Amino acid sequence: MGQRRREAAVPSPPGNRHSDMLTVAPQVPAKKHNICMVSDFFYPNMGGVESHIYQLSQCLIEKGHKVVIATHAYGTRKGVRYLTNGLKVYYLPLQVMYNQSTSTTCFHSLPLLRSVFTRERITLVHAHSSFSAMAHDALFHAKTMGLNTVFTDHSLFGFADVSSVLTNKLLTVSLCDTNHIVCVSYTSKENTVLRAALNPEIVSVIPNAVDPTDFTPDPSQRHDDRITIVVVSRLVYRKGIDLLGGIIPDLCLKHPDLHFLIGGEGPKRIVLEEVREKYQLHDRVRLLGALEHKDVRRVLVQGHIFLNTSLTEAFCMAIVEGASCGLQVVSTRVGGIPEVLPEDLITLCDPTVRSLCEGLENVIARQRSGSVASPASIHAKVCTLYTWRNVAERTEKVYDRVAGQEVLPLDRRLVRLTTHCGHVAGSLFAFVAVLDFLFLLFLRWLFPDHLMDVAMDTTGPQGLWRGALDDRKGTRSKSAMLKNEKAGPHQTKL
Amino acid sequence: MQNGDPHIGMEDETYTDINGKAISLECQSHSGFCREFTVSSAKVSIGRVMVYTCAVWLSAYTIFFFTENTAVLSGAIIVTLVGMMVHIHFVKVDHETLLVIGSLGVQVSSSYASGRESTDFIEMDKIKDIVINEAIHMQRVIYYLCILLKDPTDPEGVSSVVPLFQSSKPRLNCLIKVYKSCQEILAKC
Repeated sequence: MGQRRREAAVPSPPGNRHSDMLTVAPQVPAKKHNICMVSDFFYPNMGGVESHIYQLSQCLIEKGHKVVIATHAYGTRKGVRYLTNGLKVYYLPLQVMYNQSTSTTCFHSLPLLRSVFTRERITLVHAHSSFSAMAHDALFHAKTMGLNTVFTDHSLFGFADVSSVLTNKLLTVSLCDTNHIVCVSYTSKENTVLRAALNPEIVSVIPNAVDPTDFTPDPSQRHDDRITIVVVSRLVYRKGIDLLGGIIPDLCLKHPDLHFLIGGEGPKRIVLEEVREKYQLHDRVRLLGALEHKDVRRVLVQGHIFLNTSLTEAFCMAIVEGASCGLQVVSTRVGGIPEVLPEDLITLCDPTVRSLCEGLENVIARQRSGSVASPASIHAKVCTLYTWRNVAERTEKVYDRVAGQEVLPLDRRLVRLTTHCGHVAGSLFAFVAVLDFLFLLFLRWLFPDHLMDVAMDTTGPQGLWRGALDDRKGTRSKSAMLKNEKAGPHQTKL
Repeated sequence: MQNGDPHIGMEDETYTDINGKAISLECQSHSGFCREFTVSSAKVSIGRVMVYTCAVWLSAYTIFFFTENTAVLSGAIIVTLVGMMVHIHFVKVDHETLLVIGSLGVQVSSSYASGRESTDFIEMDKIKDIVINEAIHMQRVIYYLCILLKDPTDPEGVSSVVPLFQSSKPRLNCLIKVYKSCQEILAKC
């Protein structure tokens, strides 16, 4: 709750907080940026980061910026692809190590990323997700190349175990000379500032958003003779599936008309299957398996209550989607979740089976007595809270601010690394930074910049896709779509 | 339309390939429906042949100096001769020609330094379009010109892509010129 009050105390959204600085700096408000979003996670992989990057890019394109996305190749999807409105995606052939994240050697990605940055005339590199090695690599190379950098952190992290300690060190090194950092909630900001030992002034909070038109309520899909609890999440430890396994038998025993609808896939599925087996709940607990994004709404609208049992969460998109579909939301009080929805739309519980059961029973009782708000009114409230246009506007302000800043030259970057990141890691990465710089000089000698063809802009001020963009409200012109297809799926690697 | 004028495209503009080496583009317009584009790269330079030969022989002589085995020297001679023949016969392409004949088809041929020519003809009803595409090639992202082939089962689909000027790899300005010329002919049939 403390965070929420703090948010209320600052009248302008965090992106605006530096508006006074913006007016001092001689900034042209109409300045357009050439932005490259880099992350290991992008479509066809599915998840919060992926949709964040996609939606944010679309809104920035709408505002007239040029946006390209760089990610690693997914299976046969490599090369250059175009998405809606000329959003260009580079699927670079980099080796995937673990969990869709590339390996980081600090060097091997430089030639390709330099090629992308140079030919697209990128001015600003925006990396996403601290789990993505490619994002860190891109930040590192962008700073070597003298480009401005922004980083968005999408997740919370611990401090205690070995992997956290290592990742946090890497994050410290990676973020110590990054121009600006964006977090998705105040809890996430607090976490990131502590993990990476950052100056809180260069960290902004810009929440995620949902597309409210994708998640509209449809009460006719509900079965009125029963109460359905919907859970949509990956079935992994972090999402508290063990808690869910504890809740299901208790509640099903007490309420014979209670049904569970569980969407998602993961290693913890076995827990739920065991529970279902043990208590003979096959008809009342349905496991739907992995859901495609377009199917999520179809599942959500069938329920009365949305349950989220996450143990850690920077900003929970799922509960916003649930509320947007008009469901009563019950969630654990962890991470950034208390900031996400106003109190009348969410029931918060402690992350224990008992507390969650109590919370759910309260909501079930209210649902039975009919004293809950109608799905339409919940949707109306939620759809004004988080929109991508708002996110893009605030991100744009971050970009405007960053574009005016200088990128540390190599000597000062080395000083910063050694003084800021501790003796051992600092010196090590200062050495790596020097090597990276030498490698860049070598590449500039081997493949000079002037021999690289500048890419045609599909988006941005001189974007060739503009014709299609202008009549995006109507149907897009057939020729534009055909062109899209033509350029799209047939990229080959020579 | 400059029908009848055989050499419309002897350009003042200089073209280079993606490595910065000079190449020349020659456009011949045989008729309104028939154009020929020839991209020529630099010939095998005697200097480079000498450098490679000397390198092989010097290293062979060094090995001979220590081992005193004359087979090394004869080996070196064979390696240089075979290497040079393989290079001019299979690797080094002097000219690449694209002959577009409206309503008939496209002929793609490349002539190697030895004089060997390999020619390929694609009928017009198999061709969907000629486009400039982007690809990742050896740690770089480059533009290339390619022919899209129709998928026989699906008239809207593309079954495969034939890259053009694969060994000369001209830069974008050269590709655009060829592309525009090709599109003029394709638009007419």
